[in-house]
Amino acid sequence: MNSGYPRWAPYVLVAPFVLVFGVFMAYPMLYSAVMAMQQTYGPKASQFIFLDNFKNLASDPSFWTAVRNTFVFAAGSVLIQLPLSLGLAMLLNQPQVRGRMFFRLVFFSPALVGTVFIAMMFGLMFNKQGLVNFTLHGLFSSFDPEFPWLDQFVMGSLIIAALWQYIGFNMIYFLAALQNVSRDLSEAAMVDGAGPIARFRNVTIPAIRPVASFVVLLSLIGSFQLFELAWVLLNNSSGPNEQGLTVVMYLYQNGFISFDLGYASAIGWVLALMLMVFAIIQHKISTAGEN
Amino acid sequence: MLRRLIKHVLPDFTDYLSPGGWIICSLAVASSIAVLAWPIPQRDGLEFWLFSKQLAVLYEVKVDQWNQDKGSDIYMSLFSNESLQQRMLAAFLSDTPAADVIEIERNFVPQAFTGPIEDVGFVDLTDRLKEEGIYDQLNTPSFAPWTSRGRIFGLPHDVHPVMLAYRADIFEEAGIDLTQVETWDEFAKAVRPLVGDRNGDGIEDYVISMWTGGGFRDQLEALLLQAGGALFDEQDRMQINTEVNARVLATLASWMVGPNRIAVDAPEFDPQANQMRLDGRVIAALMPDWLGGVWEKDLPALSGKIKVMPLPAWEPGGRRTTVWGGSMLGIPKTTKDFDAAWSFATHLYLSEELAEGLYRENYIISPVKAFWDSPFYDEPVEFFGGQPVGRLYIEVAPDVPLRTSSPFNTYAKDRVVNALYRLKEYAVDNKIYDPDELMDQARIELQAEEDRVTRQVERNVFLRSEP
Repeated sequence: MNSGYPRWAPYVLVAPFVLVFGVFMAYPMLYSAVMAMQQTYGPKASQFIFLDNFKNLASDPSFWTAVRNTFVFAAGSVLIQLPLSLGLAMLLNQPQVRGRMFFRLVFFSPALVGTVFIAMMFGLMFNKQGLVNFTLHGLFSSFDPEFPWLDQFVMGSLIIAALWQYIGFNMIYFLAALQNVSRDLSEAAMVDGAGPIARFRNVTIPAIRPVASFVVLLSLIGSFQLFELAWVLLNNSSGPNEQGLTVVMYLYQNGFISFDLGYASAIGWVLALMLMVFAIIQHKISTAGEN
Repeated sequence: MLRRLIKHVLPDFTDYLSPGGWIICSLAVASSIAVLAWPIPQRDGLEFWLFSKQLAVLYEVKVDQWNQDKGSDIYMSLFSNESLQQRMLAAFLSDTPAADVIEIERNFVPQAFTGPIEDVGFVDLTDRLKEEGIYDQLNTPSFAPWTSRGRIFGLPHDVHPVMLAYRADIFEEAGIDLTQVETWDEFAKAVRPLVGDRNGDGIEDYVISMWTGGGFRDQLEALLLQAGGALFDEQDRMQINTEVNARVLATLASWMVGPNRIAVDAPEFDPQANQMRLDGRVIAALMPDWLGGVWEKDLPALSGKIKVMPLPAWEPGGRRTTVWGGSMLGIPKTTKDFDAAWSFATHLYLSEELAEGLYRENYIISPVKAFWDSPFYDEPVEFFGGQPVGRLYIEVAPDVPLRTSSPFNTYAKDRVVNALYRLKEYAVDNKIYDPDELMDQARIELQAEEDRVTRQVERNVFLRSEP
């Protein structure tokens, strides 16, 4: 059938996408895979070392410290942040709460603030002479007025800062999902004698499951990409004894401080694989729940 | 209307894109052509990158003088240390032009020495320095940080000897004469009476600023060098787990925790730490010459209350100074005119006028030994209680220890700070605060870090293949 278009028309139409995808996605990915098998000193000097970068990573204690810290942060994000976000969303979804719109805006507003600014702000607050110690010592006189948050409680400080930044952001997703929960179903369950917990478990959760799965995945990916918050909060370092070292920070240190782009590429690929595994596991769990 | 017009002019093309699409495409093409056709302004003179605003102000006179005398132009561009390093390394790594002359701080240079020696982006100045007699004119240890595998890549800016600064008013009031103190052990014992809640605010006050944050790495290196230890030897061979280093770490840990604690976390360039200095909550510090100028500007309220003295030694009769910080002038290989750049570099750094300016503005001692007899170094300084600080620093300058230029030095310094952190935690967990009893653990921690640095060094195939 002759559509009236020349045969080359579709190729011309997809060419811009293919070009942009090829130049900015496919080529860099392929090149980073090649670089992961090289040791480099910037783009100028490189030597092919096959899988040595991956072998070195496997026995690199700093890398495993970074992986452990990243997992702790991700766990903190998912297990603390998301339940709190859901709780807030449920609270602000109640029609009887006055000023709901105002509180939604207040809780969401930290998401509008730049991460670097948040890191600097929390850096000042967690300083030994900062607001956190000042307040806690004021409330509880036995609390150490110079508690070293950024010396001995690095991951906790990071989780608290991220909590402040993202709790309202995730709340918006849950709020949108909660507004789609069928009121009829909920009322029917209530008529059948279901209490609040039973209604939450059997009506609310199944209804918000797709959104919740999406938020969990988004939080996990975001947590595994943690960099600016930790880097700035810890004054452009990984903190005392690498307590704040994350996988992406280690990638940055190797790629852009040591200029070993090969090792950094290898770290990037391992991170990508880890995220892929998480995405698959998360997908399996969420679909199993649906079934 | 627009659609009809376009359809009339380009009847076939409107089948593929809407008029809006065509407008966007046209704008994209037009702006691309404009960007490509825009002339890039080319400067005829030499570009000079530097990181210090204070030094830039000081150099203006010399640069103007040069521009007038030579009829050429030097353009100064000021960057933060990090930006300067990124630009410099990006240029070196891609063989694109950088500045013609670069002044850079010590912590930001080693990465330039990481690759093969022939790929170092700076011109090798070794032969020229020796042929022109400049090498003998300058304080020899000042060349060490800019030397890689025996070749010198920079003209040194300074010596940066370190003394001990202390709040003379507080010590005098307490009846403690620090000038009689010769060793760090004596210092720790002498200052003990000053540990406690001195101002009655319910918070314990300590004496000297030393802690385990990232900013401590330079101070820790300075203390290791003073003790005769270091992380690399003169041939850049690693020597992290040594008895001297273990002793320094064990002693520092005993100063940071436990009943004999005298140290407090008060890093330099930190507003809250400066407030602690003003409040008398930290009353002693390692003071390289350059820091005197910083304190004078940031803490004017301390004028007349601060004095300096030679550092207490680690052993009786030991070294009474060390070294902290440093900058160099380097000439990138991509310079437009090496001879002009070199001539400017020597015009700037070997000038007595600049040496005097450096001292008067920042208390920085020139590395040119011939200037050390200049009378301006003998003038009393009000901020330092009328002490002739220039002369005091020059007296210890010849004892400044040699430093490494190993590309792994910054990494190793960070690792050893981590070792100190863990040793401090070990001391608290096990309630062991005696330096002698901490020695075994200090060796274990240093060995762990030496293993890590070894991994990093052995991973570098470029340095491995060097002769």
